Amino acid sequence: MSETVLSIRDLKVEFDVPSGRLPAVNGVSLDLRAGELLALVGESGSGKSALTMGLTGLNRGPRTHISGTADYRGTDLVAASRKQLQTIRGADIAVVFQDALAALNPVQRVGKQVAEMIRQHQKISRADALTKAQTLLGDVGIPNPQQSARAYPHQLSGGMRQRVMIAIALANDPGVLIADEPTTALDVTIQAQVLALLKRMQAEHGSAIVLITHDLGVVAEVADRIAVMYAGRIVEVGTRDEVLNSPQHPYTIGLLNSMPRIDGPRPRRLAAIKGSPLSGVKRPDGCAFAARCEFVHDACAERPELAQRTAEPDHLDACFLPAEAKSAALRAGAA
Amino acid sequence: MTTTTVAARQPPRRSLGGLPRMIALRLLTIPLVLWALATLVFVALRLLPGSPATSLAGGGSTDQSAAQLTANAAEISANLGLDKSLPQQYLIYLRDLVTGDFGSSYFGGNDVLGLIGNALPATIELTVAAMLIAVVLGGVTGLWAALRKDTWVDTTTRAAATVTFSLPWFALGVLGIVVFGVWLGWLPVIGRVPNQLSYQPLTNFVLVDAMLQDRPELIWPWIQHLILPASTLALSTAGFITRIVRASVLEVLGDDFVRTAQMKGLDENQVVRRHVLRNASLPIITVLGLQFGTLLGGSTVTETVFSYPGVGVLLVDAVLQRDYPVVQGAALAIALLFTLVNAAVDILYLVLDPRLGES
Repeated sequence: MSETVLSIRDLKVEFDVPSGRLPAVNGVSLDLRAGELLALVGESGSGKSALTMGLTGLNRGPRTHISGTADYRGTDLVAASRKQLQTIRGADIAVVFQDALAALNPVQRVGKQVAEMIRQHQKISRADALTKAQTLLGDVGIPNPQQSARAYPHQLSGGMRQRVMIAIALANDPGVLIADEPTTALDVTIQAQVLALLKRMQAEHGSAIVLITHDLGVVAEVADRIAVMYAGRIVEVGTRDEVLNSPQHPYTIGLLNSMPRIDGPRPRRLAAIKGSPLSGVKRPDGCAFAARCEFVHDACAERPELAQRTAEPDHLDACFLPAEAKSAALRAGAA
Repeated sequence: MTTTTVAARQPPRRSLGGLPRMIALRLLTIPLVLWALATLVFVALRLLPGSPATSLAGGGSTDQSAAQLTANAAEISANLGLDKSLPQQYLIYLRDLVTGDFGSSYFGGNDVLGLIGNALPATIELTVAAMLIAVVLGGVTGLWAALRKDTWVDTTTRAAATVTFSLPWFALGVLGIVVFGVWLGWLPVIGRVPNQLSYQPLTNFVLVDAMLQDRPELIWPWIQHLILPASTLALSTAGFITRIVRASVLEVLGDDFVRTAQMKGLDENQVVRRHVLRNASLPIITVLGLQFGTLLGGSTVTETVFSYPGVGVLLVDAVLQRDYPVVQGAALAIALLFTLVNAAVDILYLVLDPRLGES
């Protein structure tokens, strides 16, 4: 088992909203292992982005309340001062944002934006940083890096801009790279290229990657491990094969069943999870998914903890139901 | 596959090719604007009731008969060429203008170019000084308010900006004179340079002349005389700039690339200096160009209040006397200044924002 770079315990991220305090992340515990690609899956509003922004402190502010711990190689990111976070950000934890056009400064040449990331954390001359930036741009697959470094973001295509963003994020070989839906704004062929690039960079730079996505197709392709989030909590986590092949939580099962499959008979209509996700400030005491769950029973009034409930030591889930009942449901859904 | 897309979008040729052409096109519009303005002023002056001939014929004496007055006026009209039809007068005016002949004052016969040459530098000094004060004051307070949004700093700054923005120049000017000139006696309230310094204008820009003539003792009194009128003129514009800067900075602070800058590990100062200011300056600069026009308009009032010998005073006096050549010349001079400043603003904008200058 490889070492753990980031150890999150009972992390909560809450936002003040007019109706009260919204628990966007409601007690998450998760270990990120060095060099792995962990996919964080969940629907909109499940707290994926709030979790990762909470880790980097990018959503800190008077209306945000963060508690719990997030241990990055001996530093607790939650308790860290603003100054400490500034030295960690960019050097140890970097983020690839969803919309690269908006995430890049429109009036600065892209080479300079990569070089800025290098110079912020390394003692290096302006010229050397720019040369290094050009090398990085070449590494992420941008043609004519010398020339492209002089381009402004609007002069590059969407895929190229996301490559620039990845070059920026990887400039200092961070231990953790958070990719926040990096392919959502791109068309399908470019998506595949960017994912392949992330996978290659994971190997070359040795960064652990947290890939935030709601696209299970993406997950199946590149993830080493998968964590499924629902209503601010992780409901299931395991290796890719464990989660995709023997999902334990009814929500994961529902997600997988709602995916159209190329093999097998064509369903008349796509299976959907009934009901809608929790959105208000009020959360039930018990299982948050209970209201939508077809297996709901009395035990669900109590909150199920994320724990090992199968024979696999790495495969954790937060559902009281015995595995047999669920695998029957999975077969029924797939048929 | 992506290689071809990118190759077709390579930047240097596209971005650099369009810029000089766009600047040239922008400069070409200046003569057109000036011609339109000259025409407008020409027509407007002649629509005003009263003619220079009657005010000249009156000549101050009251014992002339009505018939005498009319006869005198007719003779003066003929001498000045005002008896010709309007289209004829217009053509003559344009012909003279093209050859650089701005005419001479009906009252005293001074060459119009000479009058403007004396007055315009004073007005430029006043408006530029006012602009500097307004930009520094408005910029600093606007940025401060934006970075401390929703705190007492923000609220106070915004309230103060609204108040100064709403104050009329003449009220501010008179208030300044009373408080700083009369009660406190800190600052001079009249003119540009004290007479006893016997300033001999060369370029009529005091700062330039002080250097050319090696007379550094001119500079401090000149600044002292400039402080009150320039501040009077600047204050309302400063209030306006405060609001624009605040709004503009707040908008940019919400942009995703600011979060990227924070993700890189930049501190607040670095984020503001390297990423926010330039992006926020784009809309601000346009507003500054337009505000320069407001300052020029306000300078007529301010110059009058402070007896400051600029184009504004020249223009006001000439309008009251129906001194056509001086009004036309002064209006044209002010318009030229305004269009040049705005052309400079547009060009600056093209240079500052790489997204323009291409399409």
